[in-house]
Order: sequence, then C-alpha cells, then structure tokens
Amino acid sequence: MSAARPGVVSALRWELRKLRAQHRARVVLLAALLAPVPIVVIIHGQSRPPKDTLFGRFAPDNGFALALLVLGFASQWVLPLLVAIVAGDVFASEDQHGTWKTVLTRSTSRGQIFVAKTLTAGGFAVVMLALLAASTIASSYLIVGHQPLTGLSGQVIGSHTALSLVAASWATMLPPTLGFAALAILLSVWSRNPAVGIAAPVVLGLVMGLVGALGGVEAIRPLLLTTSFEAWHGLLTQPRFTGPLVDGLLVCGGWSILSLGAAYVLLRRRDITGG
Amino acid sequence: MRRIIIPVLVALVAIIGIGSAVMAGSGTSSVTRARLERSLPVSFTHLYVQQAHLLGHTGVTVASLHAKAMCDKRGPDVADVGPGGDWVGLMSWDDPQVPMPPEGYGKFELNVHSNDCFTASGPTKLTGYLTINDKSGREVTNPVFEFDGCFDPQGDNTATGHEFPSLTSVTSTTLTTDADGGAVLQLGCGTGSQGCSGTVVVTDGKRVLGQMPYSAKEESTTSLTLPAPVPATAKEVTFEVRPDTGAGPSGPVTLPVQRG
Repeated sequence: MSAARPGVVSALRWELRKLRAQHRARVVLLAALLAPVPIVVIIHGQSRPPKDTLFGRFAPDNGFALALLVLGFASQWVLPLLVAIVAGDVFASEDQHGTWKTVLTRSTSRGQIFVAKTLTAGGFAVVMLALLAASTIASSYLIVGHQPLTGLSGQVIGSHTALSLVAASWATMLPPTLGFAALAILLSVWSRNPAVGIAAPVVLGLVMGLVGALGGVEAIRPLLLTTSFEAWHGLLTQPRFTGPLVDGLLVCGGWSILSLGAAYVLLRRRDITGG
Repeated sequence: MRRIIIPVLVALVAIIGIGSAVMAGSGTSSVTRARLERSLPVSFTHLYVQQAHLLGHTGVTVASLHAKAMCDKRGPDVADVGPGGDWVGLMSWDDPQVPMPPEGYGKFELNVHSNDCFTASGPTKLTGYLTINDKSGREVTNPVFEFDGCFDPQGDNTATGHEFPSLTSVTSTTLTTDADGGAVLQLGCGTGSQGCSGTVVVTDGKRVLGQMPYSAKEESTTSLTLPAPVPATAKEVTFEVRPDTGAGPSGPVTLPVQRG
C-alpha cells in the first residue's frame, strides 16, 4: 500500500497536468461558468414562458424557478456531454496518440494509471458541475431575483429555504453525473476511440431518457441512470420525499462500480505491446 | 469505424432487449389513481389560496377548502394506472364565493408523466382563464388555470374512496329530422363513478312527445331515437334529463329543429 501510493499520486499529478494543458477541458469549464448568464438573460426576457418543463411557467420572473428550469434542461444531455468530454477521452487519447507504451514503461502500474485517470475524470465532473450550478444559481438570483418560489405541491417556499433547496437540487445531479463519467470511461477504454467515449454516453443518455418516458416499462425505469436526474423533484414538494434520491444513489453507485470494474478488467487484459 | 459502431450497437441492443423483456413481463407503474387523488387536491388547494389572495377574497384558507378529488384514466374499461394525457380529475371544494355546479365538482384535465409529475388544467368556469385581474386591477397569471405537481412514487397507495357521479349532457346542438319527422338525440356521459342512466322527457313546447330511457358507460356518447315524430310545425324541441344514476344538466335543454 505504502509503496503504491506515491505511484498513484505522481500519476495523478501527471494526469492533471495533461488535463490543464488540454484546450477543450478549459473550454468546458469556461462554458460551464459563462454560458448560464446569457441563457438566464434570454429566458428572463421571454414573454411566453417555456411551460412544458417543470418550473418553466414561473421562470421568466422567478430566479429560483429559472435555476431549476436550467437544471431540468442540463440533465437531458448537457451534463452527460460536458462530463464525457474529459471522461470519454482520458483513456482513449493515449490510443489516439499511441502513447500507451510510453506511459506504461514508466514505473507506474496499469492499476495506478487507471486510478489516476479515473480520479481525474471524476474530479473534473465535480468541478464542472459545481461551476455550472454556482453560475446558474448566482446569475438567476442576481438577474431575475429571489422572489418566493411556488413548489411542486403548489406551496409557497420562502426565499431562504428556496435558495438552499435549489442548491440541494443541483447537488443531487452529482451521482448521475459521476455515473455518466464512469460509463464514458468504460466506453473510452473499450472503444479506444475518443469520439465514441464522448458521443456514446450522450446517445445512451438520450436513449435512457426516452425509455424512462415511456409508459409500460416501469420496472426498468428505476434502474436507468437518467432517472436519478429527476430525483430532486421530491425536495420541492410538501411533504418532501427522498425515496427516489436514495434509490438513485444506489443505482448510480451500481452503474459506476460495474462500468469502472469492466473498464479496469479490459485495461488489465489489453495487449499494449502492439501499440 | 467498426470499433465505433459495435460498442454503441451492443449497448443499444442491451437496453432495448432489457426494455422489451420487461415490457413483456409485468411492471407496475407508480402513477396510480390513489396517489393522484391525494396529490391533486394538495397542489390545487395551495394555488387556489394564492388565487384568492390575488383576487382579494377573504376567508379562503388551506384548511377551509376541503378539496376532494376523484381521478380516472380514460373510461371504465381502462385500468386507472400509468402515465398518459387521458387522465381526468373531478374535484370539489368549498368556496362560498364560487359555488360548485349542480353535479358538485369541476373537471380537470390531467397530463401525467412517467416521472410522477402532472400538469392539470382547471375548469375555467370555476377557476378562471389564463389571466385574472387582481384586487388592484392589474392583469396577472391565474395560478390555477394550469399548474404542475409531483407526487411521491412510493407514497400512500390505498384507495381514497372519493367518488363523484358522471354528468349526463345533451351533446347535440340541433335536432335534424328526416322526411317522416324522425330524429336522433346525442347524449354524452362524462367521467364519474357509475356511468349514466335515466329517462329523457321530450316536449315540443306545448305537449309531451314521449320519454326515452337511456343508459351509457362513463366517457361515452349514446344516440337516442325520438319516440314520436317531431310535429311539422315545431320549431324547437325541449329535452329534460331525469337521471337515475349520475347527474343531469342543470335545466331542460332546448334544441332548434332542422328539417332534413
């Protein structure tokens, strides 16, 4: 254990350095930080509210509703895409550049490199989500305002409670976002192609969203990664319910463990010598 | 290229495979009548109090409304379970300033999604149009014209026992007669617990032309042939619905006669 640690840490340091040098990782973080501002301004200026999404009807003149509308939109495909841009590339880029042999001839094992790359992708997901959430909540709070929010049971939620509930709702995006990161890692290792690693999780997310919206497949619905993206609804009803949040945590944990386990096995068994 | 397609295909096939396997088996939806009947009145009550506040009505509180709902998915032959745009909610509430119609409830159209959220649109006669004028005369959005709500998919699923009668209504707008004076009347039977039955008394303004018994399932229409020909001189025919089960229209319905 004590011998392995410095290996992981130095591998992690190296991965972070590669990430920092990556143009698109910086673009994603910058987009997460800046994109919410024009979106908030545009929806705030709408005379006809987007009623077909939850909280859409209140969004043009309620900052909390607007932050939740953006949340509902982001969970459809934006979060899987933003997270996959790094997680779907972190392994496959070594294939793309033909650098596996170089990486593995150093004194780090495949296991250590796997841990370092996974931590990098996971850490990026956390930072990206935190930036997007903070930027969305702050810009809707400052641009649209902090009027009392009408919740999902019609109840009026005071500004202070609303702010913490909106922040908590954004925080519940973390488990499914990490689940998608793990899925992207698996696809990245499996396909050895960054394009698959980035695009496939988005497509799978859309397919899961579609399956989840169908009637008649109720037994499969709780097992989908995308279902957890809607678990926050329970925080905004009266009384609150957290059953879907707990289920979502278990389901996302399951997806992550299976995906990472399969990815690790694939990486361990790979013949790298061929280049 | 093969490398790109194969994993995606495998994953898609797996999802579709599991999905259809589950579909072939039995899945029970979390969208049920009992959960909707508990959730809809809660959302409505909160928003109705907001509306009363906007209108300046006093004495309307969450506790005073006693809202009760009966929900039904498309007619008596369809199980009241699962998402869809074909849910109807009948709801009664106590507001002295807005009395219920004779049948005792207002009808809400519900679009229920698989994510345990719904959109309800209210009966405009009772709840008003998209915008209302508040007590200071400003035009504001009516909170109960259309509203969203969500319920706990693991919430209480025991039957509430709330039931309302179906409303029988005359759906014909004119009475078209054939060469011999024969005519057909269309009756509609709305959402409710037991369907509609009773008699329709037909008069041409002066004398009774006859009586027609009727019986219809909820959410269906039925055609009744008039018991006697419409007199050649009659310009209007009046129908009085006397229900045995279900509720009837608030008064007799008079239809103009159109010679065919």
